[in-house]
Amino acid sequence: MNNISPKVQNQIAMLQQVQQQLQTILTQKAQYEMAAREAKRAQEEIADLPDDAAMYMSVGSVMMQKKKDVVNTKLAEKVETLELRIKSLEKQEKMLQGKFEQLQGQIKAALEGKPGAPSAA
Amino acid sequence: MPASTDAIDQRELLALEQHLKQYGQQAEIFASQLELLENGRMEALAAVEALQGLLESDDGTVLLQIGGGASVRVKILETDKILLNIGSDVIVERTNKDAVEFLKDRITEMEASEKKVAETLEKLRAQMNEIAKRIEQGYQQAVAAEQAGRMPPVRAGREQDE
Repeated sequence: MNNISPKVQNQIAMLQQVQQQLQTILTQKAQYEMAAREAKRAQEEIADLPDDAAMYMSVGSVMMQKKKDVVNTKLAEKVETLELRIKSLEKQEKMLQGKFEQLQGQIKAALEGKPGAPSAA
Repeated sequence: MPASTDAIDQRELLALEQHLKQYGQQAEIFASQLELLENGRMEALAAVEALQGLLESDDGTVLLQIGGGASVRVKILETDKILLNIGSDVIVERTNKDAVEFLKDRITEMEASEKKVAETLEKLRAQMNEIAKRIEQGYQQAVAAEQAGRMPPVRAGREQDE
């Protein structure tokens, strides 16, 4: 690492940071996607039930009985919110991916222009 | 990855170690996913067994575990009305038979997911083995080069310094 210039060392540190940020975003996105799938599935499940079917939703630490249309609305809202969050995360992911590729290119160019430097790392 | 017969330089060795670390992290994630799926499957199987058992019971009296090894005798009022969590914190009332069907469908899905995750994990581990072999080969090449006297052995050099 001693033979690598401070600038490249800094770029490597930034690359690692971007990589960690990307990982966090991907994990969050996967969680939201799973929650959205689950909510859509719950919507499908209740669609087949009669309007007066007994349904409960969790409110704090208790489950309260709700009407079918209320449950449906809440689920639709949940799906909408989750999809918005997923879109926002996708934007961040794209931005970070671009940054990652740019840094990767810069580091590669710097190291290739300076043979032997990484071997001291 | 380069062919295994190629000589490995230190830069490649470092990159391979980095890849191995990343693959290891991914493998851990997949392994925990597999464990979660298996736990879910076992839980669903136990629930199916319990629901079917309820229908066969005489008066619906069961032991309800309240923790610490203590249980109380409870009587299930309606063994054919099951409250089922269908996801997203929504609970619906189903007949015993429908609830069993629902759970069996979930079990099938979980089994399919488990199969996919297990396959991915297996592929990942095979790739990790390949990388580990390549790294080992690199180290052996470095040691051989040192022993051939192309460069003074690191350890001997340190001992001399001491």
